[in-house]
Amino acid sequence: MRDLLTELMDSARARAGYADARFVRSRVERLSTRNGRLDELDSHESEGIGIRVRVRGAWGFAAVRGTERADAEAALARALAVAEAQPAVPDAGPLAPEPPARGEWSSGFERDPFEVPLEEKLAVLVAADAGLRTEPGVNLTRARFSGFRTETTFASTEGALCEQRVTECGGGISAVAVDRGESQIRSYPASHGGHVEQAGYEHFLKLELPGHAPRVAAEAVALLSAPACPHGRTTLLLAGEQLGLQVHESVGHAVELDRVLGREASYAGTSFVPADGIGSMQFGSELVNVTADATSPGGLGSFRWDDEGVEGRPVPILRDGVLRGFLSSRETASEIGLDRSGGCMRADGFTRQPIVRMTNVNLEAGPAGSLDDLIAATDDGLLIETNRSWSIDNRRLHFQFEGEAAWEIKGGERGRLLRNPSYAGVTPEFWGSCDAVCSPSEWRLISLLDCGKGEPGQVMRVSHGSAPARFRDVEVGVA
Amino acid sequence: MTGGPARDIVADEIAARAAERAGPDSFALVTLERSLMLRFAAGRPTQSTAIDDVTVEIAVPFHGHVGRASTNAVDDAALAECAERAKLAARAAAASGNGDFPGFGEPDDLVVARDTFDPATAELDPASGAAGLEEAFSVAAEHGVEAHGIWTVAEQEQGWALGDDYPGGQDAEAERRTDAFMKVICIAPSGRSGYAASSSVTAADLDAGALAEQAARKATAAGEPAELPPGEYPVVFEAPAVGWLCDLLAGCAFNGLAHAEGRGALDGKIGDAVAAPAINLADSPAHPRTLPRAFDAEGTRKWPLPLIQDGVAHGVAYDIRSAALAGDGAVTTGHALAPGGDAAGPHPTNLVLAGGGAADEAELCAPIERGVYVTRLWYANVVRPKETLITAVTRDGTFLIEDGRITRPLRDLRLTDSVLSILARTTALSRDQTLMSDGEFYGRRFAYGVVCPALRADAVRFTGAAG
Repeated sequence: MRDLLTELMDSARARAGYADARFVRSRVERLSTRNGRLDELDSHESEGIGIRVRVRGAWGFAAVRGTERADAEAALARALAVAEAQPAVPDAGPLAPEPPARGEWSSGFERDPFEVPLEEKLAVLVAADAGLRTEPGVNLTRARFSGFRTETTFASTEGALCEQRVTECGGGISAVAVDRGESQIRSYPASHGGHVEQAGYEHFLKLELPGHAPRVAAEAVALLSAPACPHGRTTLLLAGEQLGLQVHESVGHAVELDRVLGREASYAGTSFVPADGIGSMQFGSELVNVTADATSPGGLGSFRWDDEGVEGRPVPILRDGVLRGFLSSRETASEIGLDRSGGCMRADGFTRQPIVRMTNVNLEAGPAGSLDDLIAATDDGLLIETNRSWSIDNRRLHFQFEGEAAWEIKGGERGRLLRNPSYAGVTPEFWGSCDAVCSPSEWRLISLLDCGKGEPGQVMRVSHGSAPARFRDVEVGVA
Repeated sequence: MTGGPARDIVADEIAARAAERAGPDSFALVTLERSLMLRFAAGRPTQSTAIDDVTVEIAVPFHGHVGRASTNAVDDAALAECAERAKLAARAAAASGNGDFPGFGEPDDLVVARDTFDPATAELDPASGAAGLEEAFSVAAEHGVEAHGIWTVAEQEQGWALGDDYPGGQDAEAERRTDAFMKVICIAPSGRSGYAASSSVTAADLDAGALAEQAARKATAAGEPAELPPGEYPVVFEAPAVGWLCDLLAGCAFNGLAHAEGRGALDGKIGDAVAAPAINLADSPAHPRTLPRAFDAEGTRKWPLPLIQDGVAHGVAYDIRSAALAGDGAVTTGHALAPGGDAAGPHPTNLVLAGGGAADEAELCAPIERGVYVTRLWYANVVRPKETLITAVTRDGTFLIEDGRITRPLRDLRLTDSVLSILARTTALSRDQTLMSDGEFYGRRFAYGVVCPALRADAVRFTGAAG
């Protein structure tokens, strides 16, 4: 494959100002139970080559399945033909410089999830599902396992030639309770597919799904009769997945430089963040420090090189609440005069071209101690846990989130369980109201498995690290 | 890998080879995609994507469980390996006891979809697309606005086959389809934007200039933008917004799996009035304006399925698995998204909402003293599915209605309301229907849309500002 891609790039050099090629072999395994019966038993494999060329400033990309030389050469010809047919972009600038990526890299794991017998994985899921069904009143129980492997070979007309192999694994459980017109769900360790890390089967086992199942089921049933989240303004504590999603939607997407430059206006939208805001835009309070770190151990946004061969590294995004950087590509970085790409180009398999994506966009820990310490230091407020629904406008400014469960905080203690918790806000005001972030001992990665962007659509798996944080004067009970 | 003339259909032959290797009782679904998408932003091309790929899905039922595996290789060795993975999964599942899946059966031969393929569209000609882009750029420039959007065409071939031992009838079938979609979002220097889109089986139906004109006029509508506080307002929803609402409703209310599990919004409500009497919603796979399909992912023939008739809940959509779970004589209605059933359940992909008596959107606005005109919704998500409670923001063409007509732009708003409640408060629908598609193509391309009119509804709940 290395030879084939190198030769393709040799051919492309004469007809394109720049070209790159990626061979990607993907393997996915999804297993799940549903009400005690095995549900998904899916195994997906695919491989192919995607070739991207830049001709007179216009991009062409063609993807073809398989590894045959004739098909790969036809794909290159198709990419060139498509690029050449486009209206020219005479003012297109150069790509930000980058030393050619060379070498090999693999993510680590202790036990290969694809080598673990199916029966062993299913036994864990069946046990977890049984634990969920110990609670009367639960209508639907689910337990999930997911394993991913992505092998990539990348070459470019600038001499890059590198290989990467990434293994990801994880899972989760959920229980749905229904009573007349009311339906409530609780999930562990997160909703929307659970928690996946760049790791092996050992990570799935560490989740201890069967042990958490009875609590999850009991909370789902308890939510049916819990008081509804009241409407008003209050102090809000966020932790885990909900805080990670808040970072994802209102910080991560807002600082994608393609959005900032208007390139995603036709689909994902734009951004309220100005392209010239580095160093001057106050995004949040001085406690808000965010880093896009492609080296976070276990993060789904970790890699040695992105999908245009830029080496992954930590990129400061917010420091003391002030904008310090963007998620960028070689093209977008060059357009605003940055010395180097942020290394954020990622593609969903061989059939999609790389676009600006999140790596691991992490909220750095603060000095506020543990979550218990933070609750103890809060007189009156609300703790919302686990995401149920999310929506944010196309400038990433006005958002509305719903959680699975909330707890009242009164006099520094966790109080009643509340159902249907929701909150809304405006991004810079919300992050400006952040007055506490818990300490490094509380810092955890969460995973989001289905971040959608691009046309044709691309789904990306990303992680966000954070420690619980507190926000003042937030509107709650909006849905 | 060229955009040349359409080739012979091969999906059923690949499916037959796959099913043969998977053995008795198995099912194979093969989907070939050749597509081209041109993207543009601010009056210049930004990305273009040509795809030539195939997905072979093999499903093996065993003791009521379904093991599934897929590959994008079509040689015999790869198909045999894929079949082996599916069989291995099914056997592993059976070790935990029997499941509910009754097996793949031979479907009835009821309705044949029509006009699914246009040879010219299947050419996937980048020059045609580039000409469309140039036209959109030109019209946008005349209006002093930026043009953003996509132009995309595809040829898709889908075939299925059953393994041996199915008695009688057809055991393999294939269908070739084309689809074409273009959308234009124009953005004025003021930041105001307008939207127009078109979807069809035929690329020649995409009128780039007309779309750009329509989007530009919205973006440059006169008047200072007004703001409305949160509250309830009468609304005229254009067809793109109605399409979103109908598709969201489908996930909450017409999903036979959720219905069978007691989670569906129509649980216990079949036969009840759930919408205004003017609401007639069906899944109509052969409707002249839809993107027609002859069969679903389990090879089941598609036929019209009434969902809401004269405002009364009539039924839900099933695949084989959810129908078996529902019992009471329920059968698959041809809405499977994957062989053996998608984990999320079945989904109607050819929704048609019947039109009403209003001549156009202007007539819908006429009775409104003060209200909101919504072109499209964005970032919609279900909040509480059993209540069909959703939230979304308006985008690309929101206007204030005063004294029966649109008077000026309106700052975008967040809508948080129940879709069934909106349909219950619907007071009029436009006569004409339009095929609305978002042109979102995640994974293997699956073009679908909702054929719907514009509508007027009272007391729609907005919970905040947006944009």
